[in-house]
Amino acid sequence: MPADEMGRIPPRLRYAFAISSVVFVAVLAISPVKDLQREWKQSKRGYVRFAETRPDTKRLLADMHPGIDQIWIPDLNVVDRCTTCHQGMTQPSLAGVSVPQPYRAHPFVPHSVTDWGCVVCHRGQGPSTEVAEAHETTLAWEQPILQGRFIQGSCGACHLGRLPQTPKLNSGRLLLEKFNCTGCHRLEGIERPVMLGPDLSRIGRKVSREWIYKWLKAPRTVVDANGNTTVDGYLSGEELRMPQFRLNDAGLRDLSAYLSSLQGEPIEPYRFSPAVLAALEKNPETATQGELRFRQMFCSTCHSLAVIRAGETKLIGGDIGPELTKVGSKVNQEWLIAWLRDPQGYLPHSKMPRYEWSESDLYKVTRYITERLTDADLLKDVPNLPQATPEQIRSGQRLFLENGCASCHAVEGIPSQKDYGPDLSALGAKNVSQLEFSQSKIPRTLVAYIQAKVTDPLSVNPAARMPQYRFTPEDLDAVTTALLAMDGPPATAGLRRLTVPREQPAFRPAGPFGKVYERYKCYVCHKFNGYGGDLAPDLSFEGSRARRAWIVEFLKNPQTLRPTLVFRMPQFNITNQEADVLADYIGLVLQSPAVEGDEGDSKAYTTQMATLGKELYEVKYQCQSCHTIGSSGGYVGPNLSNAGNWLYPSWIEAWLKNPQELVPGTIEPRRAFTKDEIRALTAYLLTLRQGAKPPAGATSHGGGQ
Amino acid sequence: MSRPVTVVVILILMAGAAACRKQPSAPQDPLAQAYDVEADWNDPQRVIPLGYREAQGKRVFYTQCVWCHADSTPAGPSNRSNVTPAPPLMNDGATLNQESDATLKNMIALGGSALGKSAMMPPYGRTLSEEEITDLIAYIRAIAQPPYQPVARPQSGSAGK
Repeated sequence: MPADEMGRIPPRLRYAFAISSVVFVAVLAISPVKDLQREWKQSKRGYVRFAETRPDTKRLLADMHPGIDQIWIPDLNVVDRCTTCHQGMTQPSLAGVSVPQPYRAHPFVPHSVTDWGCVVCHRGQGPSTEVAEAHETTLAWEQPILQGRFIQGSCGACHLGRLPQTPKLNSGRLLLEKFNCTGCHRLEGIERPVMLGPDLSRIGRKVSREWIYKWLKAPRTVVDANGNTTVDGYLSGEELRMPQFRLNDAGLRDLSAYLSSLQGEPIEPYRFSPAVLAALEKNPETATQGELRFRQMFCSTCHSLAVIRAGETKLIGGDIGPELTKVGSKVNQEWLIAWLRDPQGYLPHSKMPRYEWSESDLYKVTRYITERLTDADLLKDVPNLPQATPEQIRSGQRLFLENGCASCHAVEGIPSQKDYGPDLSALGAKNVSQLEFSQSKIPRTLVAYIQAKVTDPLSVNPAARMPQYRFTPEDLDAVTTALLAMDGPPATAGLRRLTVPREQPAFRPAGPFGKVYERYKCYVCHKFNGYGGDLAPDLSFEGSRARRAWIVEFLKNPQTLRPTLVFRMPQFNITNQEADVLADYIGLVLQSPAVEGDEGDSKAYTTQMATLGKELYEVKYQCQSCHTIGSSGGYVGPNLSNAGNWLYPSWIEAWLKNPQELVPGTIEPRRAFTKDEIRALTAYLLTLRQGAKPPAGATSHGGGQ
Repeated sequence: MSRPVTVVVILILMAGAAACRKQPSAPQDPLAQAYDVEADWNDPQRVIPLGYREAQGKRVFYTQCVWCHADSTPAGPSNRSNVTPAPPLMNDGATLNQESDATLKNMIALGGSALGKSAMMPPYGRTLSEEEITDLIAYIRAIAQPPYQPVARPQSGSAGK
């Protein structure tokens, strides 16, 4: 092109051309500038600046990678770029709250970030490189980051059994069980017991209609003389199982009419022998003696009573059975006597043992319950309930079914309403769009939904059938954690393989032992091979530990070995024959492989050894800090005053060698005793006997071998 | 002529706005992020957040130590009064903050007699794992009253290695 033609381009056009070029360059420059300003790049630059302030700058920078970091675990479906910003995740020198986020190291946990990624536990969106998108709920991504206080819910997704490291999750799972949530909901991993609430087929024979009315309105409420509510079963968490249903006065009238119409077979009145009646009926001391027996038999191990201590009403006693403060105003006397004599006769699945009563004890305790555990004003606020019409009874039955009562309570002729509520096995994985929030103003997240639903079902669903429960804030968090753990079947093959199943031990022996074991419900408090309660010592190896004569004596007259215990073994008044059956079985079957099967005193323990043992006990090892002998010593461990009659020498030796091998988790520390020290301590402990010889009466029935 | 300039200005402003977008501030409530919590022994209204380590230490404490190192226990009364000299309360910062992590570790693992102190403190080195003892010390530090301040600040980070 000739040069003079160039000159022909008008200056205006040239000017416009120049401007548009500048604009063009500016527009093109936006993209690289924007890219430089991307959140993760800013974060990386920030990390470099931060690393320079640390003493180990060199190593921190050497470990840094300038691009996007990604943890990719196809097996778990993990594509996590979180470590792009969370640079210091695996740097031990960046631990502690003084290090600013996002550079802080991950606190120690048993799973390493590189092996597991982040979202498996923390939720959120792994592949995102933007802060908001990774952490919060967005339109395209509905699982926000889980707050740290619920993180144990993620542990529970794989660990279906009890994990000692996750106290909140464990307590939540226990609460789901205790609150009878499995009555209406299917909950993966929470057992649905045979009996949730009591069988109501004969409830009309047990309590009055007025009592039912009151119970449905405000269960388990203790009011003092001034009319102030001192124990509210809901608020204090003492009445976990029975929730409050939203019934109006007509509903209460009809439902109580229906329930009291459930009569079943009449209860046969028990006739006390004339001798007992003659001695006790007119005796003013009878109820007081009954109270003494009530205490001596340790009913309080399972049942609590409201007691005024320092001006405050408190429930004192265990929670295996119901609280009994006003039970005398609740049940009728005929039912009470029949129940005390044979609980399983009325409720086959009751946990209450069948005591072997003497007639006079039965009479005294009955009088105590019906005279002292009462409240004349209990039913004062119940309106006058005229004779129920068939129409009211029918309406009551409809209410019974509408409220899902039959999911926890059995009534003859009415099919169980198991699964009346929705299946919650996959609740923890639900997306926000799957949840119903109604008009409530809570944040649109799964955690907020669960907490609102559990504390106030109507707030998220005005038509909710779910009754009203009350939770303390800690319990609410625990229950939420346990529900978050229920995230349905594992999403990936990797997670399925990693799932740690729940152990479901069972110990249901048959034969004569099984009968006695069932009668006294040994497993409600004691553990046998992993099955049973935690209240009392594990008896899996009792046959290796305790001498037969001692067992028999103990069963007949339980003495506490641990003086600090509030809950003690009840006095069952067990028969000689039953004691023999239990002792024989325990001796033969409940043996530990870690204890040599040497039952006698065959090994020679000399007096010199015992003297040395005493010195070791008192001076070198100072066992008295935890154990009592005679009247002095500590009460962390069992009282050893009768160790010689109680324990087998082979057990003592094995125990001193390694207590945790015999009873996993026992708190007695394992010490580095030498062989001679073990022999000496054993010799000393064997000299500790109360009474000159093994208790009488124990061997006379021995028919075992 | 003024229009292109306006366009340029607008574009620059937009680019600037995009670059300066505010980062969302994540709520940093320590209790909301805590793995577990423990109420201050002296002031039950004050809740102390615990991390994973401290939470495991808490479990060890309430299984093994609470019987003699607290004035009330899950079972009710404490054994502390039966032991002479009386063991320190586990939140007694005035006493325990003086001891280094290593001393506490030896005390727990080897027992009192090995350190020339009361033989009433048994050794737990064969009962608790090393990790459990580390966790326990972390818990003791967390509940200490007055609060525990690591002596040399820079080393505190690597101590948790």
